[in-house]
Amino acid sequence: MSTYGYTGRILRVDLSSGKIAIDDTLKYKDFIGGEGIAMKIMWDEVPAGTHPFDPQNKLIFGSGPLCGTGVPCSGRTNITSLLPSNPFYGVTSSHMGGYFSVAMKYAGWDMIVIEGKAPSPVWLRIEDDKVKIEDARWMWGKGIFDTQAMVASFMGKDAQVAAIGPAGENMVNLSVIRTGTSHSAGGHGGIMGSKNLKAIGVRGTGAVKIAVDSKEWLELNRFMMSIIGANNQHVVPSSPQPWAEYTDPTSRWTARKGLFWGAANPPVETGECDPHDMQSVGLRTMKATFDLGAGAEKYTVRMGGCAHCPIRCHSQLKVPQLERYGMDPYVSNTCMGWSSPRGVMFKGIKEFDGHGEDSSIVGTAIGTTLADDLGVWCNYGQIGRDLNYCYTNGVFKRVLPAEEYSSIRWDLLEKGDANFFFDFYNRVAYKKGEFSHIADGSYWIAQRWNLGDEYWNNKDMKLWSRLGYPVHHSNEAGGQVGALISCFSNRDAQNHSHMNFIGAKLPVKILKEIAGEIWGSPAALDAPNNYTPMNEYKARFVKWSLVRTMLHNSLTLCNWMWPMATSPLKERNYRGDTSLEAKFYSLATGINISERELDEAAARCFTLMRAITVRQMQSFDLRKDHDQTTEWVIHREKDKSGNELPQFTPGTIAMEKEDMELGRTLVYREFGWDEKTGAPTRACLEKYGMPDVAEELGRRGLLPT
Amino acid sequence: MEEMNAQQTASPGADIVRLVREDSAAARLTRLSVLKEQFPEMDVEGIIAESGVPDLKKMRGKRDTYFFSDQSMTEAYAAHLFRIEEKDLLKLIAETVRDESQTYPRPTDARVFLGAPFNVAEHDLADTLERLAASPEYNDIRTCTASNGALYLYSSKYLGEAYAESLAEWMEVGQKENP
Ligand code: SF4
Repeated sequence: MSTYGYTGRILRVDLSSGKIAIDDTLKYKDFIGGEGIAMKIMWDEVPAGTHPFDPQNKLIFGSGPLCGTGVPCSGRTNITSLLPSNPFYGVTSSHMGGYFSVAMKYAGWDMIVIEGKAPSPVWLRIEDDKVKIEDARWMWGKGIFDTQAMVASFMGKDAQVAAIGPAGENMVNLSVIRTGTSHSAGGHGGIMGSKNLKAIGVRGTGAVKIAVDSKEWLELNRFMMSIIGANNQHVVPSSPQPWAEYTDPTSRWTARKGLFWGAANPPVETGECDPHDMQSVGLRTMKATFDLGAGAEKYTVRMGGCAHCPIRCHSQLKVPQLERYGMDPYVSNTCMGWSSPRGVMFKGIKEFDGHGEDSSIVGTAIGTTLADDLGVWCNYGQIGRDLNYCYTNGVFKRVLPAEEYSSIRWDLLEKGDANFFFDFYNRVAYKKGEFSHIADGSYWIAQRWNLGDEYWNNKDMKLWSRLGYPVHHSNEAGGQVGALISCFSNRDAQNHSHMNFIGAKLPVKILKEIAGEIWGSPAALDAPNNYTPMNEYKARFVKWSLVRTMLHNSLTLCNWMWPMATSPLKERNYRGDTSLEAKFYSLATGINISERELDEAAARCFTLMRAITVRQMQSFDLRKDHDQTTEWVIHREKDKSGNELPQFTPGTIAMEKEDMELGRTLVYREFGWDEKTGAPTRACLEKYGMPDVAEELGRRGLLPT
Repeated sequence: MEEMNAQQTASPGADIVRLVREDSAAARLTRLSVLKEQFPEMDVEGIIAESGVPDLKKMRGKRDTYFFSDQSMTEAYAAHLFRIEEKDLLKLIAETVRDESQTYPRPTDARVFLGAPFNVAEHDLADTLERLAASPEYNDIRTCTASNGALYLYSSKYLGEAYAESLAEWMEVGQKENP
């Protein structure tokens, strides 16, 4: 069997015994790569009832067959393990961008499976075939920036490093694994900490072989580049441009004449960025001003990002004021990395330390540097809302010892002084006092601090599920489509397949036409905030989105860009090409596969994740025990005048209980799961080629009858 | 927007066509009055009509007649420039708002008019919005405010109040909270 696309090898490291072994990737190829293969390993090897911090838990770094091939936006790393912030420690994946997975591939490894627990702190050194477990006692306690520098001092600056900070070491539930300057995978930092693994450094000097000749490959790449948009596959510009038929001020295609990377030397103008001009693709997404406001222009050195990505969605800034706080003035991040510190300062960042009108940017940069160095995760912004709730509603006063409560710098929070970040992130990362449990995750603080229904059902809290995770492109993203997508994960849905399409910024009429072509009827898509009752086409859209995201995490492609359902090209009537993943896979691996077949392979992986969830929850009634939402989702909203807005009238995103149940049924049907419980049936598992999974679930009495 | 008759391109029209295309490539409309000054001896409009180049389009306004080439400028962008050239701020804002309320559909962020290509001065915008509110001709143009105070405009012909408000809130606040 050829290993085109794949390296064909999985690195297995047992930290308890120090044993290093090689496994064959291709025995898992029905599970594609990345997240798919990781689910198979978790099913096969991590027993039900394992705690995330037990040595028996595995931590799996995965790349896929397209990673390292040069396919646009293919530099993501998938990390799969049990999640400590989830009440039943559900299996989940977190994702990093950067160059780590590409370095893995160049070093000859498709996946790295970490198991066991080292007796004392170690780091893992991978240089092509040479793999060594190294002493990390001296690194232990350091922040991620220092750790990366220390590993680089041994391996060279071209080594890619994934590391944890004190939060991960201290097994804080909400902690990250980070690579590069700004690529954080949230939720699994504590797993590395529990294994005494401080960092992994990878240097690869090889290449990824592809099956096809370069001409055909380049042609497909060129085509892909012709239909690619800006970040999140936004395909219209944010301000009127001579070439554009449509605009949307909320688009991430923010380039325009007069908007600069202002701290570049000389400053670089983003410009018009006609979609036919391939050379300006990387200028389209000026994310610094999008995320941080107009004031960020003068601080922007450039846009950075992941390997093989022409889009570059990470703003790289030089904020000289940071030196005053002993911090590197160069700071980089994107999206939630910038907005989550602002969520922690929920009363706003106001003028502080004499920074004047730049206070907000300087303050945010302090917050993001601390979170990234200490390795604290925000649970997709929830940590700030939890802090807000517990402070505003007197929970901290009730549950914290008086002395601890009064030692917290609430005065800084109240004043909007970003020095509050030092207090906040230090308490969290070093697990100082009762307060630090704020980073246990929403489910655990609700238990511990007895927060009750008022907490869960509060619309402003944005908690989607009593499993402790928040909205992430949920009912505000396509009504039932986003709502249902958010019901099937063990953490926030992290699904952009639907959002990239819904949010492409094209007029709804065009999007509905495209929806009709992909999912069988324009009724698959409603206009934003103007929803109609559930139908089978929306269920197809839901399944497609779940499956495509699993596919991207398996191939590994960036789901913040893929799939390419739309394009910026008027001459294509704004159509993209949803078969590109299958075409690239076929060319890279030499295994010819159709779009439908590849989607089915990803549906197999998603169904396997569902089976693991059944086994972990010890329940096959997932409809009742797993797939429900908090109450605010199905409560009628009011307009500004206080009038109730019934569901399915323009202006409300509230869902309706029975309609959501119908939605669940229709999605279960699309996957072939049991329509009553939502669990995979024996027939379905056998259809997906997983009789062993059916066998085990049957033995445990966990198959729907 | 009228399309030129598709006939052969030939001098003396060639110079005029080139000029219009150059203007469009530089994101400008070409005014008939300017062309007439440059080519005083010629029936410029007639020459363009007979030039037979399908990419040249004509827009007739109250102040002037304008040409552009759709090789380098979309009709949508030309429509913006046309409204700007016509110097009727009320109409510019109302028609842009109506277009957006109907097409996307969505309310229009009032700050859009402060940026390119509109470049309306802040005090002019405030004044125009006041005049809009008092003008019967534009009584379908309404305003709503997101929870962060940002002002949005919409046409009640295409969007209801609650709907426009919820979309403005989503564009202004919701999307930023859900990156
Ligand atoms: S779009 Fe952003 S996250 Fe995705 S690959 Fe590119 S830089 Fe990375």
